[in-house]
Amino acid sequence: MPVRMGIFLCDCGGSLKNIDFPKVRENLENLEDIAFVDITHNLCLEEGEKAITSRILTENINRVVIAACSPEFRERNFGELLEKLRLNPGLLSLANIREQCSWAHEGDVTRKALELIMMAVGKARLLQPVERKEVAVNNEVLVVGGGFCGMKSSLELSQLGIRTTLVEREPTLGGKLKKLEGFYSSQIEAMIKAIEKAENIEILTSAEVTGVEGKIGDFKVRIRRGTKEILRSFGAIVFATGYKTEVAAGDFPLKPGVNIISQERLVQLLQAPTLEARPETIGFIFDLSDENPRFPTLATLNNALAVKQRWGSEVYVFCKNVKVDSEGVEKLYREAREDGVMFLKFDKNPKISADDGRVKIDAEDTLLGEEIVLTCDLVVAEEKLLPAEGTEGLSSLLKIRTDSQGFYQEENVHLYPVSSERKGIFFVGNCRGDLDLGRVLADISSVVAKVYELLPPGKVIVEAERVKADPQKCVACLTCIRVCPHRAVQLVQVDSEKVVAEISQLACDKCGICAAICPAKAIKFEGYSDDQILAQIEAIGVS
Amino acid sequence: MKAERSIVVIGGGIAGITSALELANSGFTVYLVEKEARIGGQAASFCCKATEVCTKCSACLLPQKLSEVASYPQISILTNSMVVGVKGELGNFQVEVCQKPQYISPQKCIACGMCTEVCPTMPKAIQSPPPEAVPYSYSINESQCLRLKGKKCNLCREICPTNAIVFGQKPERQELNNIGAIIVAIGFDVFNAREIGYLGYGRYPNVLTGFDLERIFRNQGSLKLSSNGKEPKKVAFIQCVGSRDENHGYCSQVCCKYAMRLARLIKHQKPDAEVTIFYIDLQTAGKGFAEFYKECQGNIRFIRGVPVEISEAPSDEVEVKFENITEGKVDRENFDFVTLSVGIAPRKDSWELAKVLGINLGDDGFFDIKEPFNSTETNVEGIFLAGACQSPKDIPDSIAHGISAAERAMEVLKRCQ
Repeated sequence: MPVRMGIFLCDCGGSLKNIDFPKVRENLENLEDIAFVDITHNLCLEEGEKAITSRILTENINRVVIAACSPEFRERNFGELLEKLRLNPGLLSLANIREQCSWAHEGDVTRKALELIMMAVGKARLLQPVERKEVAVNNEVLVVGGGFCGMKSSLELSQLGIRTTLVEREPTLGGKLKKLEGFYSSQIEAMIKAIEKAENIEILTSAEVTGVEGKIGDFKVRIRRGTKEILRSFGAIVFATGYKTEVAAGDFPLKPGVNIISQERLVQLLQAPTLEARPETIGFIFDLSDENPRFPTLATLNNALAVKQRWGSEVYVFCKNVKVDSEGVEKLYREAREDGVMFLKFDKNPKISADDGRVKIDAEDTLLGEEIVLTCDLVVAEEKLLPAEGTEGLSSLLKIRTDSQGFYQEENVHLYPVSSERKGIFFVGNCRGDLDLGRVLADISSVVAKVYELLPPGKVIVEAERVKADPQKCVACLTCIRVCPHRAVQLVQVDSEKVVAEISQLACDKCGICAAICPAKAIKFEGYSDDQILAQIEAIGVS
Repeated sequence: MKAERSIVVIGGGIAGITSALELANSGFTVYLVEKEARIGGQAASFCCKATEVCTKCSACLLPQKLSEVASYPQISILTNSMVVGVKGELGNFQVEVCQKPQYISPQKCIACGMCTEVCPTMPKAIQSPPPEAVPYSYSINESQCLRLKGKKCNLCREICPTNAIVFGQKPERQELNNIGAIIVAIGFDVFNAREIGYLGYGRYPNVLTGFDLERIFRNQGSLKLSSNGKEPKKVAFIQCVGSRDENHGYCSQVCCKYAMRLARLIKHQKPDAEVTIFYIDLQTAGKGFAEFYKECQGNIRFIRGVPVEISEAPSDEVEVKFENITEGKVDRENFDFVTLSVGIAPRKDSWELAKVLGINLGDDGFFDIKEPFNSTETNVEGIFLAGACQSPKDIPDSIAHGISAAERAMEVLKRCQ
């Protein structure tokens, strides 16, 4: 079909006085393929909408150029208007003659405005419609990790009517919190019961994810259970694989044992019905490094308080900084001090040595400016929060980068809270870093909302072929597959001999890296293709 | 009972905007009620703190969300508006909204700027919106405008090409019916540093707050003191101003991070500047922040303990009296300027809204939650909290909480369908 173009010029209520609109129109009318050039006043208002509608309905055009304000303001609305008028929004080309032209310069800018519009016209000639189509997606979600986070995510997803499969490495659900006495373990028990009762949650214990292929809406996941391996399909995957804690060996010259114990061991002692010998003096040491401090801080404050209240021992806490930047922690810190827990802050790490069956802590208290030597019956060491076993393996399996400490999710603010660079793969809770309970809960709600948004019941509408690889030109060099940060490119078999790259429109984030790098020029990003950009340059006589 | 698929979000800051977008993406109709003339809230005045690398302050996340909200047909933005009454219950609330006179209709204003050109007052009574403002429309300063002061001027109305300017408006009340749920996201007040007299804020021109500094960097791009036009060489930050004291039993969670980022930005722009940070406990939690702190330690001086007094010194300098722990004595040092790292305080007007909605306030003055383990639900079923009005939060945490509130609202509505 021959190109027939309509051009709308907007003078912004007559305020763009440094552009001679009649002159611009005169110049444009002489170009080829132009059906009409209209000067209008307020394209963004209702009158503008009417002006566009009546012209498009009568003139039978197939390309639209609008010269007005920044695309930031109205591009989406103009696109929607064209769609209403049965014109594909992909056939619209905009020229910014307000912010980038009239407002940017003093004096007459008619020539620049004309050039900007001619560039838009040049591009418009080559534009192709970008159809949108419905794609069927699998709405089932795989949740990896049967601890608090994974269980709560599954429960909330199931309440929104989303089918979930929960995979846990251990033989039972519950994770770390199950081992704690009292409030937490009762919560966990209740959750396990609810999950077992829920109709749309499938539980796979003693199972591990061993392979993930495919893309959002259609992930093919291999799950190993004992000696068997099953292959299942899911729309999205939520990782809630948790963390591990460890007493950092390098920080303590003495090995943890009878007198130097971990937080976990202290909790066991606190929970035991009887105590062999009540420790008179207890020292806690934490925040030796500044890494992942929220978790150790909370554990230390809670346990120090518990020791004080149950055993009535003298409690000293040695730390660099008390990390109180979570809800309620400052109050907990105050409570501990009011109850008689002593806090001593050091800059240089304290020296720890054995002293006749007890432990000597040699530290400099920066606030007193004095050296403090304390002999303790018991020293509780800092437990560091570290990525869970298998995090590295899974991340390389998923081809997803981790942060500088090895936790899932890159340090990219645009991915927070729970997204990853691959659409449809999410990370919740402590597997993505050092979070307190409030933040973990926000994570869980976020992942539920994000899954629901990406995979609504039924079908998903995507722009088909905004970015596509031409199977005739593709030589399957794999460059695009290597560079795509979203893993949106896959190889597909076209016949017995040929494989070519195919871009999933659901997984694609429209970053354009593949189109720029493809050595065979097989990948085209509609609206920003090489010929369209060259046409813009040639339109103003530069070549 | 049929639950309605319309939701009112009170407050157009980063948390409210996030909730609104999340709900609209899932097919809900949203009324975003904003007290000010523009949405964006506090985060709209923050600056990018990138040095040669991004320092992940997240200030750039707002403009992106703003433009998304602006072009979303399912989100109605009601600016200059306040919620003054609520009736009904979960699934079907009636929300009464009062809109102050706007004088310039954001629906009609095309931001051409001709009104400002003809406005005869100095400074102009009609002002242009900041570049990323949503809605992107002009506004009239009531105290400057001749017409609103009873004089006869009509110049702006005559020139406006779209008849967007209307005088003689009265506050308008409208009722939003069939509202399924309400999300409260009214944000926070920046702590007023004048309340701590000995720090000299408001008395000495070269004592600024962190929020002042954000604005200076945002508007000027680099640091110059307005008092004397000098480029400062010696700078101090004082942490925990309005946090962790007898009146504030909480950590504001943002000040250590913004102070370190601003300090790095100053060092980046002026490598010979000397920057000191006085602190109680440094908060270095968060993705990648421990490494950032290590880098800061290389060229920023950290002193434990916050100063006890600030006074004016000759040649526009500020004298800081602090305890020098290493030498065990009280020291005095002069700085070109001092930044008070002010914290997040509950909004002064939150009790009014609490009364209208029937929700509780907690000990610290932030809105209270129904139960631990659930930071978005209030004591009233169907009313949710998002962002810093619940407890102090930085931008990423506010975004996460905003999504969280939207999800809770969706789930509760789904359950009662």
